[in-house]
Amino acid sequence: MGLASLFAAAPLAAAAHQLVVFASVDCEVVTVEAKFSNGRVAQTGEVRVLDGENALMTTLPLGSDGMARVPLTSVDHSSGLVIEVDTGGHDNYWIVTPEDIARKCGS
Amino acid sequence: MHRYIERVVLAVFGLLMATVVVAQDRPKVVAVNYPLQYFAERLLGGSAEVVFPVPDGVDPSFWRPSISDISMIQSADLILLNGAGFATWVDRVTLPRSRLVNTTAAIKDQFIVTESITHSHGDGGEHSHEGLASYVWLDPTLAMAQAEAIAEAIKARNLAPPDEVEDRLQQLRKELEALDQQAKSAFSDVQNAALIATHPRYQYFGRRYGLEISSLEWEAGATPNDAQIAELQMLAQETAAQVLIWEAEPPVEAIEAVESLGLQSVIFPTLVREPADATYLSSFEQSVGTLSEAIQMRQ
Repeated sequence: MGLASLFAAAPLAAAAHQLVVFASVDCEVVTVEAKFSNGRVAQTGEVRVLDGENALMTTLPLGSDGMARVPLTSVDHSSGLVIEVDTGGHDNYWIVTPEDIARKCGS
Repeated sequence: MHRYIERVVLAVFGLLMATVVVAQDRPKVVAVNYPLQYFAERLLGGSAEVVFPVPDGVDPSFWRPSISDISMIQSADLILLNGAGFATWVDRVTLPRSRLVNTTAAIKDQFIVTESITHSHGDGGEHSHEGLASYVWLDPTLAMAQAEAIAEAIKARNLAPPDEVEDRLQQLRKELEALDQQAKSAFSDVQNAALIATHPRYQYFGRRYGLEISSLEWEAGATPNDAQIAELQMLAQETAAQVLIWEAEPPVEAIEAVESLGLQSVIFPTLVREPADATYLSSFEQSVGTLSEAIQMRQ
C-alpha cells in the first residue's frame, strides 16, 4: 500500500508494545508500576510527579522491577497527582484524583 | 408597597433556589464523543445532563484530561465509553466500574484492526504499534448497537422512565435504519470505488458501503506541504482514486493543490465532535449525498 495505510481486516503479525503505567494508592504511598503491553517490565525510566496544575513536584528513577514508590508525605497531593513515566522511547501517565486518595484513607 | 416588593423578592429567590436544586438533582452522564452524547440526549429526553468534557480544538481520541476533569467524570452517574481504543485517557485513570458502559462491548467481533506505526529505539529493535479503528459510529448499524447499549444502561440505572426510553430508542432505530438504507442506495452503483481520506477515520464507513478508502495522515484543516502533496499524487496513481475526503474544511490553497492533481475534494465531518448547525443524522446524511455525487461525477 506504499506510503498510505489501507485498513486491514485481520490482525497484523507485528511485534507490538506500548508502555502501560498504573498507580495505586494506599493512603501512605503511591505505588507506580510500568510495563510494556507485551508483558515485559520497564526496567529503566524516569518517574515524574506533577500536581493538579501540572507543576512538577519531584522526579525519581524507575526501579529494575518496573516500580517506584512515592510517599504521600513527600508531595502535596491536595489537588491530586499526575504520574508520568518516561522510558526514553515510550511514555505514559496515570491520574490520581483527590477522591482516589480520600477513598483509600477511609474518608 | 413594601410588603409587595418583599413578596416579589421572596418569590424570585424561591424560583432561583428551585432551579439550582433541580440542576443539582439532575443525574449527570459523561460521553467520550459526540455520537454517544447525541444518542444519550435523544434517549434521556432531558432527564439527565449529558456532558462531553473535551475542550474545543482538542482531538477527543487523544485528550489528556486534568485531575479536575477526572474528578468530575468520577462523580457522574453514567460514563459512556466508545471502546475500540477510542479515548486513550480512560485506561489511565480509576473509573467507577459500576457506572461505566462500553458501548461497543457487543460488537467487538466487528472491530477493524489497523496497520500501525513501525519505529525503532533502545534495545527493542524495530517494532510496531497496531491498533483498532475506533470511529465505529460511521457505520449506522454499529451506531445503532451503541445506542442500544446506552438505552440499556439508562434503563438499568433508572435515569429515565424505561418505557419512554424504549419509545425513543425505537424512533432512533428507525432513523438510523433509514440513514443506512439511504447510504446503501447512494453507493450501490459505485461499489469498490477507490477513495482517499486525509486521515484514517472512515474504515467502518468504507466497509459498510463497499468503498475502498486509502488513508493519509494529514492534520485536519491544515494545508499540506509539498511532500504530502507528492505522497497524495503517488497514492492517487496507485489506487486510481479521484476523490479526496477531508474531515474538516481545509484552506482554499489546499483544495486548489488537490484539484491540480485531478482530485475532487469532499468534506465529510467524522462527527467525533458536534458539527456546526447539524446533528449526527443530518450531517451524516449530507456527507453521504455529497460523497456519492462526487464519485458519480468522476465515473
